[in-house]
This record gives sequence, C-alpha cells and structure tokens, in this order.
Amino acid sequence: MIRFGPGNLRIPRFERPVYVIAGGLTDFRKRYPEKNSCQLCLEALRMAVEENDLKVSSEEVRRGVNWCVYSQFADHFGDQLLAAAKVHDYLGFDPLGNIEVKTGGATGGSAVLAAAQAVASGYASCVPVVGWERMDEVSTKVGNSYIASAACKDFESELGWMYASYYALMAQRYQYENNVPRETLARIACKNHEYACYSPYSQNPGRYSVDEILKNEIVSHPLAFLECCAMSVGAAVLLVCDEETAFRYADQPIRLAAICGGSHTLRTADRRHMPILLLPNETEATYGEYFSQKRRDWPGFSSFLASRMAAYLAYHMAGIKDPIADFDLLETHDAFTISDVQTYEDIGLRPYGRGREFIESGDAYYEGRLPTNLSGGLIGTMHAVGATGIFQLVEILWQLQGKWDKFHADPERWSRYGKKKPADFRSLQVKNARRGCAISHAGTGSHVTCAILERP
Amino acid sequence: MATAWPNKVLEKVSDDPLVVINPKTWGHHHSYGGWGRFFAGLREQKLLATRCTNQGCPEKRLWLPPRCECPDCWGTMEWIEAPTQGRIYTWSVVKYPGELFKLPPGTPLISVEIEGVCTKLMSWLKEGEARIGLPVRAVFNTARPTNTILDLAWVPA
Repeated sequence: MIRFGPGNLRIPRFERPVYVIAGGLTDFRKRYPEKNSCQLCLEALRMAVEENDLKVSSEEVRRGVNWCVYSQFADHFGDQLLAAAKVHDYLGFDPLGNIEVKTGGATGGSAVLAAAQAVASGYASCVPVVGWERMDEVSTKVGNSYIASAACKDFESELGWMYASYYALMAQRYQYENNVPRETLARIACKNHEYACYSPYSQNPGRYSVDEILKNEIVSHPLAFLECCAMSVGAAVLLVCDEETAFRYADQPIRLAAICGGSHTLRTADRRHMPILLLPNETEATYGEYFSQKRRDWPGFSSFLASRMAAYLAYHMAGIKDPIADFDLLETHDAFTISDVQTYEDIGLRPYGRGREFIESGDAYYEGRLPTNLSGGLIGTMHAVGATGIFQLVEILWQLQGKWDKFHADPERWSRYGKKKPADFRSLQVKNARRGCAISHAGTGSHVTCAILERP
Repeated sequence: MATAWPNKVLEKVSDDPLVVINPKTWGHHHSYGGWGRFFAGLREQKLLATRCTNQGCPEKRLWLPPRCECPDCWGTMEWIEAPTQGRIYTWSVVKYPGELFKLPPGTPLISVEIEGVCTKLMSWLKEGEARIGLPVRAVFNTARPTNTILDLAWVPA
C-alpha cells in the first residue's frame, strides 16, 4: 500500500486503560541445556509474580489470571509445535484460554499488543505475556539458516541464508545515501556492549573501543560480529492488567499509554517509493530539500516504513509531540548497528538522513537527553527472539518504577546466574523517569510495534 | 505377542543435563505455484516479470520478483520480459553465510535496479567487484540449473 485511505491511518484507542504491573526475566545465554523452555518460562513468571513487590500473594495472582499470551518466534528452533500448550500447562494455567503470537523479531511486542487488546476490550483483566526462545539446539550456522527462513524463501533466502547480509545490503545503501561514518555505527555497538556489563541477565557484555569494533571480523560487509545481535536462550514475562486489578495487585502500576503495530514487505526489494508519512514533530518543510540524486526513494532500503507507521499511530494515541522531549528512556530493537540508526529516524529522534546525530550528540547515552538501550539491548544483552519485545518492556517498567537498581545492582542477582557483580558496576537508573518507549522489530522491517509506558 | 525395544537409538551428547540429537533428514516438496514461470524463464535465459493488466490500477511498472496478482488492486498480472541490464543499487560480501548457502563465502550479494521495474531484485554478482551504480547484465545458469533464484546472476555490463 503506497496510498493511504482515510481508514488506514485511524488512530487506535483502548476502550479502557491498560497497565503493566510486574516483569520477570531469566538470564540469557548462548546455550542453556541445564533448563528446558518450560522451566525458563516458569522461572521468569515466578520472578514477575514473586519479586515485584506485589501487594497480593502469588496464589491470588494465579487465581486472578483469565487469559494468557505466549510469544515464541520459531518453531524451527524449539522443534516443538504447539509449544505454548506445553508451557501453558507447565505454568499451571489450564484450562484458561490462550494464544501464541508469531511476528518474527517483533513477536514479543505483538504479544504485548495482543494482551493489551484483550484487556482494553474488556475480554480479560489479568494477562501474563510469556515469551521465550531456545536457539541452542542447532549450530550457529544452522541457526542462521533457520532465521533466514524468515526472509522470502522463494526469492531471497538462498542469497546467503544469513539475515546479517540482508541488513548489510541496507547498511551499504544507507551509508551511500547518508554518508554516516563507520565510527558512528561502531559507537552504538560500544555503548550497548558496555551497558550489558551492568546487567546480570546479559549474554554479551564487553568494553570495546571504536577501533576494536572496526577491526572486528566481518560477518557480511560492512557489518562486524560485534555489531550484530546475540543468538540467545531465555525467557521474559510481563503482567498486563486492567486498572482495577493493577491497583489492587501492584504498588506502582505503570500505564501502557499506547502500543501500535506497522508492517512492510518481507522482501526489502519490494519497497516502492512513497510520500514520507510525517510524525507530529515534522512538517513538509522538514523534507523540503531532502531528496537528491543519491536519496531518491522513501522508505527505500534506508528506512523502515513499519517503524514509522507504528510510531505514527502510537505517538498520536499517546499524545506524543516530540519523542526526545516526551520520552525519558527508549529501548530500540538494535539487531544490527545499522538498523538502530535507521530506527532513530523512523521514530523521529532526528529527521531522515540525520540519525547519526542522535549518537554523535550524546543524546542516546545514560544522562543524555534520551538514554537508549540501557538494558544492553540485543547487541549486548539478549535476543531470545520471542522474549525480546517483552524484555524491553520489563526493563522500562523497572526504570519507571525506580526499581532498576533492585533488579540489577543486588549482588545476589548476579550470583543466582553464576556471575559476580563487577567491581566497576554503575547504576543506570534514570532519575525520575516518567515515560519510556520500546520498539519491537521483525525481519528487515516486516512487523514493528511501538509501545509507550508512562507513570500514571 | 511381545514387541522388541526399538533398535534405532538417539545419539547422546551429554548425561547431565541429558542431551540427545533428534535427527532431521527429510525434504519438503515445495511448489513455487504460479511463480514457477519465473524460474522456468531463467532456463530460457529470460527475466520474466509481471505487470498489472487493470487499466485503472496506478502501478504500471513491472514487478520482479513477479506476482501473479497485483497488491494494489488484486487484479490479474501479465508476464513480460524485463530488461536484462540494470545497475547495482546496493551490495554486500557475505563472509559467514548460513548452513544452506550453495555458493562460496565471499560471494557478493547485490540488489539490482532495472529501468521500468518498481522493485530492486536481490541477486548475486558472478564476476567483478561490486559498487553502487555499477552497470550490470543478467547471466543465467542453463547448464545445470538449481531451480532456485541462484540460477540468475549478474556480471559487469
């Protein structure tokens, strides 16, 4: 669709308010044979229900649940169809109804969207969203083939069987059109690996210099290994409730002000030029002199229409006028450094073509104007795909509740995963954080959700 | 009557935790359906695209990859030979491909921009060094077709 009709851009609304009240995670590892997927989900659920200062017993929460949403990306990886039924039983929720959601890398965001729809419509009042992925049953090389099955198998997968290559094609074009220095991309990787050093849940923490990233081995030119997301095993849980339940159960319910989805062609190849969909902080004049001989197409290969669409709807739904001013923190789906820069533009942190400034200005860092991926993101902490979009919102929830330290700084949390809290640990709690945003993203931008959490 | 224990056993990787290998050996009978004509065209050294036949549809350009039905109006498409010359829109060299890749690591992947085509076809460069804007022409694997998109490649024009 390259021409919108009046119904296409209708702003979604909830019939009643939706809250998130508790989150739980496992740690994330490349291989996790010690625990099966059911156990990982139970561990994350117990953390959500038992460690989030709820005012009621876990028995009361169990008796209050009336619908469940499950989030797993790839049956290929887990090698178990109807895995959600197995997890649902293991969590003890039978015979309550449930659904399993699948939208690639955005599965977690879409699962939370499905839960929000259930609560907002009145269908349900207390919904655990349970996400996980088990990517360790096969070698990394086979795993990359499985992931590339989420490209068009008829016309694209054969060309590399490697998602990093599909992003590398975008990276090359983006650099050509926008002249972004390699160093700027590398700084995103440095930042997220470093923030992962302060997370007991993280899989790929590390302190790297820009130079080390630039000298790191190439996966698919120009992207290096350290610029690509982790392949993880782990689980995440978020508890989504209506207002009455939220305030009865939780000490600090956080409102889900908006969560909206967009989409675009699975094949990047099929993205035709169209007029730029403007966000509330942009006007026609923003792009008056934008197009040039190099930059002829929008969204082309340099932008994600799905992200722009999701942000457009969510910003209007939540009354966001300027994302940098209105958000206190952000979690992006940093599957690759290049997709992060693209996303900065799609969600209006900078106009198209100027995404690099978001990093170069320092805005994206802790104590910058809009700290981004303090969780360590997908590059530093995890990409257990079905859990990812949920993990992002769990981290934002804890930030908005002022509980980041509780869930990251306690040495006991590190030791439960067989780790030692680093001597140079620092708190990444954003002071007085009021509103946060999370972008969950699939394919080369086939599905994207934009979620906005805020303190009521 | 007694039934014997199975004589096929799973290979064990470790005892604690108990890890076994579940084998996977079968193939899928995958049909390209209506898009098969494109792959048949490659064997005849033709780049077959499709175009919407609905006069009222605003999209007059060719689709490549082809579609049998138009996404803008759901109308029927017609098959038309696309030009076999284009320019590189973007490229990458895949150093660590996934398991099923049939070409060697280091193969340049390209997206090709073709006049009159509304898409940018993903493909690979069989000769030469890739750069954005490089004019290229299509070459076809007719000797021993793989019956995949790899039967189409490009070389500098």
